[in-house]
Amino acid sequence: MKHHYWEAPIVIYLFLGGLGGGIFFLSALFDLIITPGAGPLFFAPVFFALAALALGCFFLVFELGQPPVFWRVFTTKTAIIKWGAVLLSVAMIFGFVWWASYLYVLGWEWTFGLAAALEGIRPIMLGIAGIAGFGIMVYTGVMLSTLKAHAFWATPALPVLFTVSALSTACAAIALSLGGAVDVNVIGAVVAELIHEIVHVVDIVLVVAEITVLLIMVLSFYGAGNVTAQAVAKRWVRGKTAPLFWGGMIFGGLVLPLLLYILAAGSAGSEILAPILVLCGGLLLRYLCVYSDERAPIPGEERFYERLPKKDAAFLTAWTKGKNLY
Amino acid sequence: MTRYVMVVDQSRCIGCQSCTVACRTWNDLPLDIIYNPVVSEGTKGTFPDVYRTWTPTQCMHCANPECVPCCPTGASQQDDDGTVWVDYEKCMGCKVCVNACPYGMRDVSHMVPRFDQYVRKCTFCRSRRAQDPAAEPYCVATCHQRARIFGDIDDPESEVSKLINTNYTERIFTELGTDPQIYYIPEMGGGAR
Repeated sequence: MKHHYWEAPIVIYLFLGGLGGGIFFLSALFDLIITPGAGPLFFAPVFFALAALALGCFFLVFELGQPPVFWRVFTTKTAIIKWGAVLLSVAMIFGFVWWASYLYVLGWEWTFGLAAALEGIRPIMLGIAGIAGFGIMVYTGVMLSTLKAHAFWATPALPVLFTVSALSTACAAIALSLGGAVDVNVIGAVVAELIHEIVHVVDIVLVVAEITVLLIMVLSFYGAGNVTAQAVAKRWVRGKTAPLFWGGMIFGGLVLPLLLYILAAGSAGSEILAPILVLCGGLLLRYLCVYSDERAPIPGEERFYERLPKKDAAFLTAWTKGKNLY
Repeated sequence: MTRYVMVVDQSRCIGCQSCTVACRTWNDLPLDIIYNPVVSEGTKGTFPDVYRTWTPTQCMHCANPECVPCCPTGASQQDDDGTVWVDYEKCMGCKVCVNACPYGMRDVSHMVPRFDQYVRKCTFCRSRRAQDPAAEPYCVATCHQRARIFGDIDDPESEVSKLINTNYTERIFTELGTDPQIYYIPEMGGGAR
């Protein structure tokens, strides 16, 4: 292995993409099927979904070697990353139109006409954004799992894990922002409470599912993975990443919020702290996974690259700063 | 139909890295990019029965490359003669292909301006062959040990065809289904893998 090819911006992009996609999916599910007419309550969550996707796209473009030509991502039919970009665009465009149709909740008079004009197409807009959101959640995991050069990524468990985590973080974000920026009446407050209750229970189920999938995946690799995947799993389970995995991911990001959800229901710990921990756990999961990009080396390859000067070596620094850039 | 492959005779390679230097020279590579490192696991065995095997590596120009279909811009492509290459004019530096390559034979340079990075890789000296169709890749032309042999595997009279048909050869990571087109004639004591 020479170095990590994908760095922190991709970690943030995968997290925010899953989060935004999950919020769109759940918002569509609630507004169109579970609690029809609850649209205004999702004004703030969808705003955060749009912000998350926009910020995620920014980080994705920032990670490119040539950001000004990011539009080239749309120029082929087969690449999975192209389909991710299409899903992101669709979710953001249709989600924005839906969100703009509810701008009137802020009391801005100039938006009243906009709301009236878009009222009829709201279900279609949110429906399409929700479907695209679901696609984004799945895509973030599939993108990594199709890269079979990396043994720890190339498992069907990874898309499942990322999808469950995306849904879980979306539940957390909705729990934190539902009804934000909106003056709700009594009925609205009851519906908001109902949605809070549903999201609360669903997130408990999702956190349990995430713990299960994560442990099955990591411990399977630990016990029976090929040499490369097993090395990564060992690092996670009892190596230098173990504190982050057991302390940060499993305990801080999953078990502790689960306990708060169950044992402290109704308190600030359950309503605020637990969702924040779930969000942090989601980010940590992407971090741990993206930086587990070990590839099976060609015999002797590691020995070769270990002997090369590192990028901060005096020799290379002097060369770079000198007349001969290359 | 022409299908270019390379045969690497490990019993001839002495690990001089001439091919590595030649490649850097022809392709004018930044310092942190090496298309064809010659690697070794070091000395093996117990004195006096010791040996060392060198493995000249490079892009495997796979018949079923992982790096081509994953490219979202179509920059990563394969010629009819099997050469896998990157069109720098189309590449946006997303590094999906870099992550897709099981051999680690693609990379972007970190010694060029941050927002002018594109993926680089061995092209079997495509530009050199465009100038002179009879020319060999520079690493092959430079190898004084004749450890690297380049040619058309579809031509039964070519040297590579004869070598592959008359020697035991190995290829790297064939289990991934990439069908790599660099054939190694193993040195005693161990092959490419």
